[in-house]
Amino acid sequence: MPANIPSSFFEWVSFLLDKYGALFFKGTVVTLEVALTGTVFGFLLGLIVAIVRTIPLSKKSRAKRIALHVCRFLLGAYIEVFRGTPMIVQSMVIYYGLMQVGVKMPVLAAAIFIVSINTGAYMAEIIRGGIISVDKGQKEATVALGMTHWQGMVHVVLPQAVRNIMPSIGNEFVVNIKDSSVLNVISVGELFFMSKSAAGAYLRYFEVFFITACIYLVLTFSVTRLLRLMEKKMDGQDHYTIYGSQSDSKSSITVQEGGQV
Amino acid sequence: MKPILEISHLEKRFGDHLVLKDINFQVDQGEVICVIGSSGSGKSTMLRCINFLEEPTGGRILYHGKDAATEWRRTEYNAKVGMVFQSFNLFSNMSVLENCVAGQMYVLKTPRKEAEEKAVYFLEKVGMGQYRYAKPAQLSGGQKQRVAIARALCMEPEILLFDEPTSALDPEMVGEVLGVMQKLAASGMTMLIVTHEMSFARDVAQRVLFMDGGIILEDAKPAELFTNPKQERTKEFLQRVIARQL
Repeated sequence: MPANIPSSFFEWVSFLLDKYGALFFKGTVVTLEVALTGTVFGFLLGLIVAIVRTIPLSKKSRAKRIALHVCRFLLGAYIEVFRGTPMIVQSMVIYYGLMQVGVKMPVLAAAIFIVSINTGAYMAEIIRGGIISVDKGQKEATVALGMTHWQGMVHVVLPQAVRNIMPSIGNEFVVNIKDSSVLNVISVGELFFMSKSAAGAYLRYFEVFFITACIYLVLTFSVTRLLRLMEKKMDGQDHYTIYGSQSDSKSSITVQEGGQV
Repeated sequence: MKPILEISHLEKRFGDHLVLKDINFQVDQGEVICVIGSSGSGKSTMLRCINFLEEPTGGRILYHGKDAATEWRRTEYNAKVGMVFQSFNLFSNMSVLENCVAGQMYVLKTPRKEAEEKAVYFLEKVGMGQYRYAKPAQLSGGQKQRVAIARALCMEPEILLFDEPTSALDPEMVGEVLGVMQKLAASGMTMLIVTHEMSFARDVAQRVLFMDGGIILEDAKPAELFTNPKQERTKEFLQRVIARQL
């Protein structure tokens, strides 16, 4: 025990920050790491699932049609299972399940894997919604120009779908920052896990978790602001330059002799 | 001269509903054909079947004598048979220029520089050159439709299909779009136009098809069809429509 034991709430907070600052920092880094990579991989996974689920059924090839049906069924099952069970249970099943069959995953890798596959299930539906929300006429226009389904998706539908679901992607990211805390059950050294160790030493749960709550809030708040900025960036300018006008850098007006333009 | 497009016994049903019963006609090089008829008569469905936005349930479409459904690659055929939609359907994630470049680059594999030059050429033609950096959302309806026409022209199609190109426009913008179409017709472009603009059909088309109940009821020169329709249904339709338009 230190010589002068803190007596008030604020004294405790500053004392704990001083003593366990590094621990909080490490936990924060792991939380961000897991949430960020989990969201990114989850997004990619969801994108693939949503793309496969929106491929139009081929009218010509029966084999392709059957393959697609099987794919869709499996992907549907994946979504149902991972949306329908809590992540805390999924982490127990996957981590300890793998261990029982002799695969010892590093905890951080396991954490990222679990968050990714869980996020992927939600993202798949979010992205499918985004794809459906894009004006059908524009997809028809790609077909009318002679583009393939794939070209139309890549150049026209997906860019708009992703832009439209940016708020939901942000939501998933925020959820992942917070819900990665359940990974403490498999001893991932994220913020909640670290906080628990810090709280245990002096049995100051309130003060420690007050600090933890503040860190989570700062994280989620900065992430939502950042995503807002990204959205603005994606929207581009809200004005355009008339070609040939003076503010258009690409135009040049040449004045010939005699002052005639 | 062989026709570009020969349509025989074209049929389209949605479930139990038979929309196109038996469509037969041909399109020759350079012809401008207007399709008229009341709503629900199958005009738009017919157009959409011709470029396979709807799969026909019967009949054949021959393009240069070869079956469009089986003997042509779908993407190649669609690139040759351009389409202008009622609701423009410009790609809202792209600028006006990109809209005109995309098809050339991805379908025709034209290099970007060349594609942009052609895009600018056709945008100038429809009077939209100076708006090349605008996004579709920043344009008026008439401007959007002119861009859509330029986008279709950039593919250098052999025939252009128009699906009620002025129906979604404010009355004062109809003129600018019809003007562009008239110029296009004069330049020798082959066009198949579903329209409610009777005066346009009368003045610009070389042939007018009157559709009713999923068939082509009358196929004649505009002077003949508008002044001396053979069918009773055509007469009724024209009386109703022309009374309202003039």
